[in-house]
Amino acid sequence: MIRFVRHQLSNGLQILVYPDNSTPMAALDVCYHVGSRDEEPHRTGFAHLFEHLMFGGSKNIPDFDLPLQQAGGENNAYTTNDMTNYYMSLPATNIELGFWLESDRMLELDFSEENLALQRNVVIEEFKQRTLNQPYGDVWFLLREMAYQVHPYRWPTIGKDISHIALATLDEVKAFFFRYYAPDNAAVVVSGHVKPDECFRLAEKWFGPVPRRNVIKQPLPEEPEQTAFREQTVRRRVPDNALYFAFHMDARHTRGYYVCDMITDVLACGNSSRLYQKMVMEKRLFVEIDSYISGDSDPGLLVVSGKLARHVRIETARKAVWNELNRLKAELIPVTEIEKVKNKLETEYILSQLNYLNMAQELAALENVGGAELINRLMSVYLSVTPEEIMLTAARIFRPENCSQLNYLTK
Amino acid sequence: MINRAQFPPILPLAKPNLTEPVVSRLDNGLPAYRLSTVSLPICKVDLLFNAGIWNQDRPLQASITNTMLQEGTQRYSSGQLADLFDVHGALLRLMTDQHIGVVSMVALTKHLPKLLPVLADIVNGAIFPEQELQVLLRRRKQKFLVDSEKVKILCHRKFIEALFGRGHPYAQSLQESDFEHINRALLCSFYQRFYHVDRSEILLSGCVMQETVDLLNEHFGKAMTLHPIEPQKKYEIRPAQQHYIFVEKQGAIQSAIRVGKVLVRKNHPDYIPLQILVTILGGYFSSRLMRNIRGEKGYTYGITASLIGLNEAGYLVISTEVDKSHEKAVVQEIFKEITRLCDELITEEELDRVRQYLLGELMRDFDGPFAQAHAFVNVHVFGLNYNYYEQYHELLLNISPEKLRELAIKYFDVASFYTVVAGRAKN
Repeated sequence: MIRFVRHQLSNGLQILVYPDNSTPMAALDVCYHVGSRDEEPHRTGFAHLFEHLMFGGSKNIPDFDLPLQQAGGENNAYTTNDMTNYYMSLPATNIELGFWLESDRMLELDFSEENLALQRNVVIEEFKQRTLNQPYGDVWFLLREMAYQVHPYRWPTIGKDISHIALATLDEVKAFFFRYYAPDNAAVVVSGHVKPDECFRLAEKWFGPVPRRNVIKQPLPEEPEQTAFREQTVRRRVPDNALYFAFHMDARHTRGYYVCDMITDVLACGNSSRLYQKMVMEKRLFVEIDSYISGDSDPGLLVVSGKLARHVRIETARKAVWNELNRLKAELIPVTEIEKVKNKLETEYILSQLNYLNMAQELAALENVGGAELINRLMSVYLSVTPEEIMLTAARIFRPENCSQLNYLTK
Repeated sequence: MINRAQFPPILPLAKPNLTEPVVSRLDNGLPAYRLSTVSLPICKVDLLFNAGIWNQDRPLQASITNTMLQEGTQRYSSGQLADLFDVHGALLRLMTDQHIGVVSMVALTKHLPKLLPVLADIVNGAIFPEQELQVLLRRRKQKFLVDSEKVKILCHRKFIEALFGRGHPYAQSLQESDFEHINRALLCSFYQRFYHVDRSEILLSGCVMQETVDLLNEHFGKAMTLHPIEPQKKYEIRPAQQHYIFVEKQGAIQSAIRVGKVLVRKNHPDYIPLQILVTILGGYFSSRLMRNIRGEKGYTYGITASLIGLNEAGYLVISTEVDKSHEKAVVQEIFKEITRLCDELITEEELDRVRQYLLGELMRDFDGPFAQAHAFVNVHVFGLNYNYYEQYHELLLNISPEKLRELAIKYFDVASFYTVVAGRAKN
């Protein structure tokens, strides 16, 4: 049982406290329920650009990092399709400094053209460093665009095109802030060597005066069911051919999500997994192979991907992968195999609790998808999944008409 | 109304608890170091061997031997081993660096009785099957080729080669052809010489109790062959003549830059103060390089300076990736910041900030059993003890701006630095 307590401020802000006295440190995590899904199609990458702007100084604090370092702290942030998460760790005795820093930038940023111009450049360099200048760096651009037609998951968090970032204006930045960065659209998670009552008092003191902004979320367009197989072939300067299959899967709040997660573990978690043993060790069609879920809140993607061994034809590799996927649809997986996956999940679950900072981020991520209380139900959901359910879910997901296949070939 | 312009008070940071391991001896005298906590039922077992790159005769020999340990023993096939670890939810990690080879496993403590015999088996009875070796070599070669498409990797390879000279173990000048020349016989001979339980060191962290040590004794405490210690090889550092090297990578959008030089090794008295100096230069988010090149100019997503401490030498490396058009300006700014350390005294304000930041880092380094295990390896492998951390803490509190400038003048002569840039040729 993971024990944490919750308190809501009158402006709507959720405060979650997870005490862990085995550490002298504390973490403060602020999760805003806004991500690249909330962007306009002509301003993709904006949520992530905004994350950078949050470090450019706020109304009363010209520099975010200097005071935090002065207190022995460090921080970072990340943006996903569904959320923007800011986290810091610092010696627990200085936790109030974290409340001071985070509440001021929730109150109001110090919007300036200079900072915007600067962060645009930094993010453009990040864009190049992560994608354009990396072998296989554009895979997710291609996969998303193929798999989604209307849902905003069709572009990656970094943005679809550099020009979208280059053209962002200060007015757009301000509008985005007041529209989404609000106590009623955020959660604060405090973990580590802290007392809940003291955290609630500090939250009231620093975040209490931040006005509610009555955030209204536009419903997102629902992705229509895919009805035909999609395939794309690209040629790039890469050393090996690679093959990607993306299947639509279940939304985060459904049981199917967990079943899909377990399916990818059966397929590719650890050296004893099916795809590794069959495709890499036995048939040697691939030099590496993997399967994973995109982890999104709305219906996301289940991906199978691998780099082909030299001289193996795409068609041969494709057939072999489908054989394995079809096997999951046709045969019940042995109880020992499902136990293996559950044991691995149990290890990971306990491992994640070793670190207060990690726990703060986990609670924040779950709060974003429907409530941190979920953390105490996760394992029981996984443990209750049956071989029959795996088979039925595999049959529903692994259909050619639910698949987008990307052939990523050498030039 | 609260006054938001007013800092909440910052309390002075207490000295972290520099927790040392408890040592027990197994029946054969082998030391087992233990960093226990009982909060969660999980633990890590690290077996350290003197089997690093330094000891290899051929490229890839050390790391491939290490990885192949899990690919078959006299008792179990590769697939069976994978299954034995996976069935118990254990995470096995095999790793090689310049000086050591490590077999590391994270698992729930309740599964140790089943897992420790398997762990002992892969260390004692590895057979290096040919077929598995070919699969691994293909995978490694493929990764090597993908890496060879990345400017940062091309740049780094050339940079350490410039610092240490081709053939030096720290330079790791790997070629594509090296993958053809490694074979089973080379692995077996390396294994015979360097993977002996009675010459290993065992580190337990997390939820480990006396029973765990007893269990360990059963599987690791009986071997009594007492293999002789191999004499440490000697290598000479042969730095490049050229101090500026350009590596061409067609079509690269960004250029990777590495600037640095060989410095003292980890047990040298200047190593600790140099760490503080390097942190000021580029070791944290508000470092001088970050504030200048990212924060003021927006030329890069990130730039860092790190001091790498090894047994025989240390080196400073400044790394960044920038648009081709900013390549020259960034190299210039890097040297401007290096020179500034020699010319100007650091302000008390900046020094205090770095001091506080590093004190916080020291707390993180000793926070929790796995971090403490890492902190132990970080000194133990280098023949150092916890005096290193005591001195580090002491120096952090007391180092002066004058001492830092003195150090910069001693080591940061601009002409002694190497600059390597990898990117597309000039348009």
